[in-house]
Amino acid sequence: MSVEEQVREIVARITRVDKSIITRQSTFKEIKADSLDVVQALVAVEETFGIEIPDEEAQKFQNFGDFVSYVENRVAQKERV
Amino acid sequence: MAENKKNVAHNGRIRVAVDAMGGDYAPEEIVKGAVLAAEKDDVKIFLVGPRPILEKELAKYKLTNGSAIHIVEASEFIKENESPVDVIRRKPNCSVAVAAKMVKSGEADALFSAGSSGAAAISAIQFIGMLNGVYRPALVGSLGSFAPNTVMVDLGANVDCKPHQFLAFAIAGSVYAKKFLNIADPKIALLSTGSEESKGSEAVREAHALLRNSGLNFIGNIEGSDILSSKANVIVCDGFVGNVLLKFYESIGGYAQVWTEQKLKKYPPLRALVRLMFRRLFPATRISRETERQGGGILWGIDGVVKIAHGASRAPQIANAIESAKEAVKAGVVESLKSELAKFSQGGKL
Repeated sequence: MSVEEQVREIVARITRVDKSIITRQSTFKEIKADSLDVVQALVAVEETFGIEIPDEEAQKFQNFGDFVSYVENRVAQKERV
Repeated sequence: MAENKKNVAHNGRIRVAVDAMGGDYAPEEIVKGAVLAAEKDDVKIFLVGPRPILEKELAKYKLTNGSAIHIVEASEFIKENESPVDVIRRKPNCSVAVAAKMVKSGEADALFSAGSSGAAAISAIQFIGMLNGVYRPALVGSLGSFAPNTVMVDLGANVDCKPHQFLAFAIAGSVYAKKFLNIADPKIALLSTGSEESKGSEAVREAHALLRNSGLNFIGNIEGSDILSSKANVIVCDGFVGNVLLKFYESIGGYAQVWTEQKLKKYPPLRALVRLMFRRLFPATRISRETERQGGGILWGIDGVVKIAHGASRAPQIANAIESAKEAVKAGVVESLKSELAKFSQGGKL
């Protein structure tokens, strides 16, 4: 399963929305995720991929696509190391 | 620790992890309340917080049942100006989080906090976890004197609700009515702006459909004027509506007294009689009178007993809260809710 698909599943599970409605353009507001949903998603993604997402980076995410791109980059960096 | 898992008393004692740093008068009143609660021999209390501070507080008391109170180190705690969400990423080892983790690990049977209710709820969600089918915990409360067989849920834990949450609220309210009001088949109603299913917000309309098809004893929508009519045993609403109603309801007695006394100011004997009458009746309008007596409310939907209390609670309320957390463990409220929820999860309704 791709990184994007795994992140989508995590976000869908936490926010309890159908994962088919989460596109790369979806904002957290559009999928009705509140601040707790977002923090839970960040923690779950960190644990799943063994990466850290600093708050200052997380605050830059405008939509689901930004979130996925950041995770994909960090996972790729980790694999290179 | 696995053998000490949930709802199992440890050497005959229920173990309560107390967030000793949570509350307006923490740690003094929390420790004092814990000492009061520990006078009973069926409870073991873990005071969670910075050890030097708690040892100093505990030293003020001659403990008659000393082995019932233990200190568990947590060097950090959530301060008033901090966001509750900080519990997860910035302070995962703060006092309330450590107390929650003790419930998860089976070292404690219940968590109690008089600190930030948001921080307690978030700690419980993140570190203990939700029961299957529940998205967020809810607060359930009895309406008391005017409608003694009616409970309302949610009373303020969830301001914005998704439709499926109303179904979980109905199930939690139903378990509460069965357990604490001894109602075998509670009648459930959805609070709306009209009795027709087309009335209400989008979430309420969707919730109506879910409740109608739930298999619960759902009697449809009721309006605000029906809240005290005893038509329903469980009234379901979102936490925004529930909390506004709760506070309005509690304020009625005081304002009714002032208004009546003003109307009778030319008749001093009658005025005195009214004052006396209201002194007796005023508590009847307090939805949370029972909650106050119990020292707070349970967060329903968490996979463990989590008791929260008002930040301004003093030692007697803290002791009551610890006592009722203990009673909730003994009554198996979490297991009852879990069992009810399973019926709906299996049917794919939650």
